[in-house]
Amino acid sequence: MSATLARAEPSTAGAGDYIELMKPRVMSLVVFTALVGLVVAPGHIHPVIALTALICIAVGAGAAGALNMWYDADIDARMGRTAARPIPAGRLAPGDALAFGITLAAFSVCVLGLLVNVIAGALLAVTIAFYVVIYTMWLKRTTPQNIVIGGAAGALPPMIGWAAATGGIALEPVVLFLVIFFWTPPHFWALSLYRTEDYVRAGVPMLPVVAGERETRRQILIYTIVLAPLGVTPWLLGYAGPLFGAVALAGGAGMVALAIGVRAEQNGHAASKRMFSFSILYLFVLFAMLLVDRMSAGLALW
Amino acid sequence: MSVVESRVRDHLSNQQDPQPGIRLTEQQQRARRARSLAIALALGGLALLFYVVTLVKGPGVLTQP
Repeated sequence: MSATLARAEPSTAGAGDYIELMKPRVMSLVVFTALVGLVVAPGHIHPVIALTALICIAVGAGAAGALNMWYDADIDARMGRTAARPIPAGRLAPGDALAFGITLAAFSVCVLGLLVNVIAGALLAVTIAFYVVIYTMWLKRTTPQNIVIGGAAGALPPMIGWAAATGGIALEPVVLFLVIFFWTPPHFWALSLYRTEDYVRAGVPMLPVVAGERETRRQILIYTIVLAPLGVTPWLLGYAGPLFGAVALAGGAGMVALAIGVRAEQNGHAASKRMFSFSILYLFVLFAMLLVDRMSAGLALW
Repeated sequence: MSVVESRVRDHLSNQQDPQPGIRLTEQQQRARRARSLAIALALGGLALLFYVVTLVKGPGVLTQP
């Protein structure tokens, strides 16, 4: 009875709580990488249609974030980093978050499919479903490879952007997909190295929890060694200029150097923290350079 | 107390509390207003988006490239 009454209690959640539910920081990264996919794509897309595509991708990412927070509320409540989120903090009822997430997902996919093109809409639907069902509901709680396979969801936005502009898929966005896909494990494992206790408390089988720190550090180095040459590939394939190539080479070398530092670290987590921070900068600069490269090429033609 | 007196008392107490049920607190009312405003803005934005896209794409707004 008391549970029924608790559910019937009118909500005090404000608009800010719903915005927090959409993981705005993740959303901004998704929009940024989708924008790069859209700008790098050949041909012309009307600015209004491009803006429509980006809004739909942003809302779709927000929907995935809301559904993730709805399903993971029990885990979030046990982790220091996430305990203040709207559902575990008691500001928002789980059912409200579920309804919010499903509504946004349906709207974003339908509007993108109808107003931009069906391929982009379908890719957005796959991204949301992959993140919510494959990663959140299945992999996250069952395997230390959770963020490796689940990383595909975070890697898809440049492909959605490309599909929005061209109506199809090509090798170039697949390379961008692979860059984010191989960037995700070293990025999250560097974080999980110094947040291991949180993951133990929450019962999430992250690699350091299951295989230990030594194996995690080794895997970070392996994935980074694969990532560094992949980062240079847009230049090697000819759809980015030499300036991009130079920045990608320098950034990749920095990532490998930091990963070697993480591998060699015996005590403490200073190297892991450096690696985590630098990995964000690396991905941002890499994609920003692609944007600059394409825009400067456009200006030169103009 | 007679039946009549009892009914009069019930009637008076109902007049003092004409709508029994959930009463929103000040904070709940503020939150509901903020949510309603956000929904209105989102719906307005969606209508504007459809209008602008219709202007851009012309009559074949749902025609795929």
